[in-house]
Amino acid sequence: MKVKNESEEKTGIARRDFLSFAAFGTVILSAITVLAETLRIIKPNVHYEESRKFKIGKPENFPVGTVKKLEEEKVFIFAEDDGFYAISSICTHLGCIVYSTETGFQCPCHGSKYDAEGNVVGGPAPRGLSWYEISQAVDGTLVVDSAREVPKGTKYIYA
Amino acid sequence: MHKRFYLSLLLISGLVLFTYALFAAYREATPEWKKYQAEYRRLLVLNAKDAATREKAAALKIGHRQIYLGKLNRVDRCTYCHLGVENPLMAKVRQPFRQHSGTLLANHPVNKFGCTICHNGQGRATNKKEAHGEGHETHWDYPILPLKYIQSSCARCHDNEMLRTNGGDKVVRGEELFREKGCKGCHKLNRVGGDLGKVLDGIGSQPLAHFPMRHIFGEHTVYNWLKEHFDQPWRIVPESKMRVFLTDEESDLLTNYILTLRADEVPRDYRRIHSPRAVELDGKALYTIYCIACHGDGKISVYDNTLQRTIPAIMNPAFLKVAGNRHLKTFVRDGRSGTPMTAWKAKAAGLTDPEIDRIIEYLTRERPEVPAEPFGFLNYPRDPAKGKELFEVHCAFCHGQKGEGGLGLNLRNPTVQEKIDPEFLAMTVRDGREGTPMPPFGKQGMNFSNEAIADVVAYVKQLAKKKP
Amino acid sequence: MKEIREPGISEFIGNLKNLKQSFLGSFLRSGTPTSDKSRAATMFNNFFLHIQGVKTHINTLRPTYTFGLGLISFFLLLIVVFSGAILMIYYNPSIEHAYNTVKDINYVVYAGRVLRNIHKWAGEGMIIFVLLHMTRVFYTGSYKNGREFNWVIGIGLLIFVFGLNLSGYMLPWDQLAYWALVIVSNIIQSPKEITDALGITHFFDVGGFFKELFLGGHVAGKESLNRVYALHIMFFPLLLFVFLAVHFWRIRKDGGLTKPENFVPGEDHPEDALLPKKSGGLFPTYKTYGLMELARGRTPAVDQDVENMVMSWPNLIIAELAVFVFTLACVLIYSFYIDAPLREMANPLIPENPAKAPWYFLGLQELLSYSAFMGGVGLPGIAILGLVLIPYLDREQRHVGIWFSNRQGIIVTLQAFVAAVLVNVGLLVFVVRFGWFRNWWPDIPQLLITLVNPGNLWVAFMTAWSLWVIKRTGSTRMGAIALFTMFLVSYVIFTYMGTQFRGPNWDFFWSRSQWPVH
Repeated sequence: MKVKNESEEKTGIARRDFLSFAAFGTVILSAITVLAETLRIIKPNVHYEESRKFKIGKPENFPVGTVKKLEEEKVFIFAEDDGFYAISSICTHLGCIVYSTETGFQCPCHGSKYDAEGNVVGGPAPRGLSWYEISQAVDGTLVVDSAREVPKGTKYIYA
Repeated sequence: MHKRFYLSLLLISGLVLFTYALFAAYREATPEWKKYQAEYRRLLVLNAKDAATREKAAALKIGHRQIYLGKLNRVDRCTYCHLGVENPLMAKVRQPFRQHSGTLLANHPVNKFGCTICHNGQGRATNKKEAHGEGHETHWDYPILPLKYIQSSCARCHDNEMLRTNGGDKVVRGEELFREKGCKGCHKLNRVGGDLGKVLDGIGSQPLAHFPMRHIFGEHTVYNWLKEHFDQPWRIVPESKMRVFLTDEESDLLTNYILTLRADEVPRDYRRIHSPRAVELDGKALYTIYCIACHGDGKISVYDNTLQRTIPAIMNPAFLKVAGNRHLKTFVRDGRSGTPMTAWKAKAAGLTDPEIDRIIEYLTRERPEVPAEPFGFLNYPRDPAKGKELFEVHCAFCHGQKGEGGLGLNLRNPTVQEKIDPEFLAMTVRDGREGTPMPPFGKQGMNFSNEAIADVVAYVKQLAKKKP
Repeated sequence: MKEIREPGISEFIGNLKNLKQSFLGSFLRSGTPTSDKSRAATMFNNFFLHIQGVKTHINTLRPTYTFGLGLISFFLLLIVVFSGAILMIYYNPSIEHAYNTVKDINYVVYAGRVLRNIHKWAGEGMIIFVLLHMTRVFYTGSYKNGREFNWVIGIGLLIFVFGLNLSGYMLPWDQLAYWALVIVSNIIQSPKEITDALGITHFFDVGGFFKELFLGGHVAGKESLNRVYALHIMFFPLLLFVFLAVHFWRIRKDGGLTKPENFVPGEDHPEDALLPKKSGGLFPTYKTYGLMELARGRTPAVDQDVENMVMSWPNLIIAELAVFVFTLACVLIYSFYIDAPLREMANPLIPENPAKAPWYFLGLQELLSYSAFMGGVGLPGIAILGLVLIPYLDREQRHVGIWFSNRQGIIVTLQAFVAAVLVNVGLLVFVVRFGWFRNWWPDIPQLLITLVNPGNLWVAFMTAWSLWVIKRTGSTRMGAIALFTMFLVSYVIFTYMGTQFRGPNWDFFWSRSQWPVH
């Protein structure tokens, strides 16, 4: 049956089918384009977040031997004989805020434990707490950049 | 069956849809700011001193880079194009890449302050025209502030003491001018000031629509309005009674100051305003701020065209000879209703009693040693009926048939009727008022008897009791 | 090896191998549509397609019969809903953030400006196309033969489309939005004009009550924005979709679109003739009867006019798809070039001058300038009531499915058109030139103006003219045609007047360039 029909009016069929294929091809193409652009629309271009680089104050505000927890910035600032360092207070497991204990840090949500340097010593956390880069601005203020991580043990010594 | 028609429609529409979907994507991929960012990157590479910085410069990412200022409730996207604003290498390149001039950014880092808090403009916009907010078609109320008015923004966080020496001198001088010209004689600010003019609180941040732009020559902006209005108030607001004569520089200074009178406040941690010490202004300063705009030096009475009346000379010795402190205080405290004279008491124009006392002390510093001879009003018969006849013949020409005023004062007003001592009125009628058209009716002038004067005053005193 | 021989496991392996066929089969239950039977089943077994018949009358597919107006309206709705859902991701309905989020949609959301334009213009397009669709339905007499109530539902849909557009207009919280909100809230309050005139406002303040319901207070503020937002994204869409479902379902139950009683394909319209059968390619056509075509029942007119029916799959589906892609393409082109307006942020202290409602309500605003109650409530109420009553007062069941019914219909339409243009323009010229009662007798009671004003006179004229047409032609259908024509003409003229010729203080201006500078 198919063979018989194909022999009839072959040219006419070819023309109409070209139209169908072209039309549907274009429609599918534009549908894909439009859907892809729609997905792109949903991805936010800008983030309404404060700068991740923030000033924490002059070095004199951090007497050696103290630990300060900056609530809003979610970071612990340590001032020691051999320099300053900043450890993130965000648990690497699911993002809760850890609190400091005598031996290090403890997460209240799922029991992750860290030592004083932020290394994991217990619980489900996959890796240690982040250390952030500390630098000094022109006017001498200490600046923490939570977008830049530094290796554990990196301490900032100011002149 | 129209199948061919529909298939063709499908094909053509599909092609058009596809084309325009690509057009839209292309337009999104090539916004104005991306060209600037590419150009900036090229400049960076060009200016790089060594290979490392060159590599770093070449790696500059082209993309969105907004400054989000949660506490200021602002989003500034100026750095989409003005990329070199904090880069010392860009001190000499052309705009929009040039480094910010001066050393201001050291204390005002861009990621904490943004740009529009000082410069105005539309921080959210990402194309030049709309970001600068210039022209009516951008529909933005706060276009970029010209540099000659930029100091007005400093006052959002800083006080005069700090501004005076640290580059805010125009605002400080503007404020001094505001005081010298006696603007508060007519305008209320912080609840103190006269009621003849507009209240000035918050005027610096009012949207464009509050300012009638019909007669403005320059661009339709608030600062242009203020400037042109200071130059020629009556041209901008035809019904204006504002009496200022300013040089070009002065009106710029005043514009700077007026722009600082904003309704919005920046958050506490941004402000560096020290609680101002309450300065006790002396009588002269108070007279300058509140009185000078109308009364001038107060020596001679002048007919004022704008106010369409004679402004009394309140420091004229002849006047002071007659007017006791109690009377003066009544005038200043309660104003003179029926005239533009404001009631300056605390509940109206906002001056405290000690301040009014200091003003009066200043007014009366040249009062003649010898006071006027007392009249003794109560010693005479005081017949209003006789007084009426005299009044209609001799007084009505200036004061009106029923005392409603004309060239002379309106005598029916409550101050004359209720507050002023008849003794004072009688003395004024007897001695006249030097420096005004009011002639003496006593011995030196028309030679009325004291009885006749007392009759007239008695009549005047009960004018308002009758129906006009 | 041993385990594989286990019957359970081998069956599982077999199922795994057949996964593709069995999944596709469960998804496309009727197989590939290669025979008329399976094509019929494709339509019938698909949730989305089965609202349409398995066969479609040729007349339905004639582009010059429907111009696809109803379909375009529906597709515009789909576009509006889809773009609106995406806009909701970025928009924040609070008076502090609404304006800023709309600005950010314009400035930093990928293709946000185009997206907002699409939402705006497709929405306003719905007004135009729903009105045009109503016009088509009216002039082809498609509100007859059991479709009376569907016409009424259509009027409801028109109202919801207006409501959706209006509530959407207020969301950006710019000057246009705020002052439109104020104006609309006062239109809602306008029955006060009547209760005031009767002196019963104190006991029975129906206008104030509805205004408070709408604004959530006495003045437009943050509560109002919440309410308008809820109306825009929930109440109106829900009602619209319920009404729309009924609207479509009734078309299906009424046997599809209307068609002429004696439809002869190819006579006037050679392109309507059935195509020769063919096979192969994407859509082969060779005729066999499927079970669905022979289904008994009187609703979908299966047994009548069979020779003029074609399979809905693919004929109708291709037509619909073509109209959809056409609509989307047109909306995209328009939105690519023309930006939706966004003015200064709302300022409750300084109104725009003139504070104009969106264009589709400017006809009403013109009427409103004569009398707030008649323009805002009275005349629109009369217009809607008149539209609803048309199928019940014109019961003639002839000439269904034919544009303008017959030759006489065309003449009546033209006469009504000319009369409407002349009288309506004349009325407006008179009002602009000479004013109305209040200009002549400043102390005239408000009730008198409410009762006698240009808007009311116009309605009276339309009614009188239509009654005269009925008397003259002896046909209620002709009267309806005259009335509807005049209604359409005046809607256009009043709207045009309000849009183009009214400037600050609602004064007359020949063009926008003559407006005085603020």
